[in-house]
Amino acid sequence: IKAVSPHALCSIFFSSARLPQAVPFRGGHWQTSLLALRASLPVRSQPQKKKKKVDVKREQAQKDRLKKKIKKLEKASPELIPIEDFITPLKYSDSSRVRSLPPLSFEETERRVLLMKKWSLFKQKQAQAEKKAIQTLVEAQQEALKELRLESEELYQAAIRRDEGLFPFERDGPNYTPPLPGYDPPEGKCVDITKVYTQ
Amino acid sequence: TAAAPRPWRLFGAMCLLRLPRITQPLLKEEEEMAALMGQIEVEKSHYSDHEIRKLEEEEQLKRRKESLYDDETTGKTVIMAQDLEDKWEQKLLQFKAAPRITDADKNNNRTSLNRRLDSNLMLLVKQKIGNQELWLLPQAEWQPGETLRSTAERAMATFLGDHVQAKILGNAPSGIYKYKFPRAIRTEDNLGAKVFFFKAFLQSSDLSQAELKKDYLWVTKDELGDYLKPEYLKKVSGFLLD
Repeated sequence: IKAVSPHALCSIFFSSARLPQAVPFRGGHWQTSLLALRASLPVRSQPQKKKKKVDVKREQAQKDRLKKKIKKLEKASPELIPIEDFITPLKYSDSSRVRSLPPLSFEETERRVLLMKKWSLFKQKQAQAEKKAIQTLVEAQQEALKELRLESEELYQAAIRRDEGLFPFERDGPNYTPPLPGYDPPEGKCVDITKVYTQ
Repeated sequence: TAAAPRPWRLFGAMCLLRLPRITQPLLKEEEEMAALMGQIEVEKSHYSDHEIRKLEEEEQLKRRKESLYDDETTGKTVIMAQDLEDKWEQKLLQFKAAPRITDADKNNNRTSLNRRLDSNLMLLVKQKIGNQELWLLPQAEWQPGETLRSTAERAMATFLGDHVQAKILGNAPSGIYKYKFPRAIRTEDNLGAKVFFFKAFLQSSDLSQAELKKDYLWVTKDELGDYLKPEYLKKVSGFLLD
């Protein structure tokens, strides 16, 4: 059904009433101003109300789908950071790289096995000695605290209090040779190229 | 009800340790094991790029020597892997590291901190107790109003000055030495003394600024026996490792 053009309508009114052009003619509720006739939606297509619903519905459906996808991605567990040390680069699995050595003699294997046994015994004795030393340390401290308690409760409480400044405890380990006095290290810049992964 | 004043006098002593600067020499078993581990590591490994280059170049040299015709261009000089290795060896030999056994070791100068870099050194000072001059760990009498730890810090400051940085291991004492005064001066209120030891690690590496007022020594645990009385030594070595 073709709607009657308001342009035709207003022209009829114009011819009859002879209104000055400056005055806006308010013929229908859909006509806001004379000059803005064609700026509104083309009236020849379907009425506007139906389109709004479909649009809104479609947009809503799209938004919901997107939200579902985002939720799924977030729920998935974060990718594990690869440990570079555990991945052997492919170029080292080439068979040409395999070392060719003569097989070990019987005496050599015997020597190795006996050495391993001696080593395990040595380490066991070492660990036991360490534990014993720590035990004597703890006993000495307990004795000292006991005597202190007998002396004065106040000093004892002050001694038991945790020392906040003790940790974190940092120390540079011992090296093989002591530092050279007046050593001038060679010039150079160290560029760190480790790969940093973020989850 | 106020507690009756105890007849023991309290002292706080500081056991200041200079930690080792170099590693201790390996024991025989440790050396053997280290050698074995090195061997096994080499056996289980694959060839590295440098080794493959070396092998290829050796083969090339062999082929060149055997073949009488020189096909390859001899104009360009190629750096062989063996040359690189020789160059690195030369560079290593040119570098002279500081000796592990210092001059102070050779002179047995027990007042210097550069002696025995591979073990703990602790401070001993000569103090007057009663009417005797004894070698002791620096100690000071406890005054009311301070904790025992601050007594020990005060003792350290009197002998080494204020500029010494030491990390004290906690508020609790590590050991105690209890002794009764000789009968001549023992009274009802003054039975004896308790000396509480605190352990600390020396942080500042040079003590040139320290004003050492009296006789002092830096000794290791095994050398303590030369200076300390037997009972005192027993209690002190109770809380010392190694």
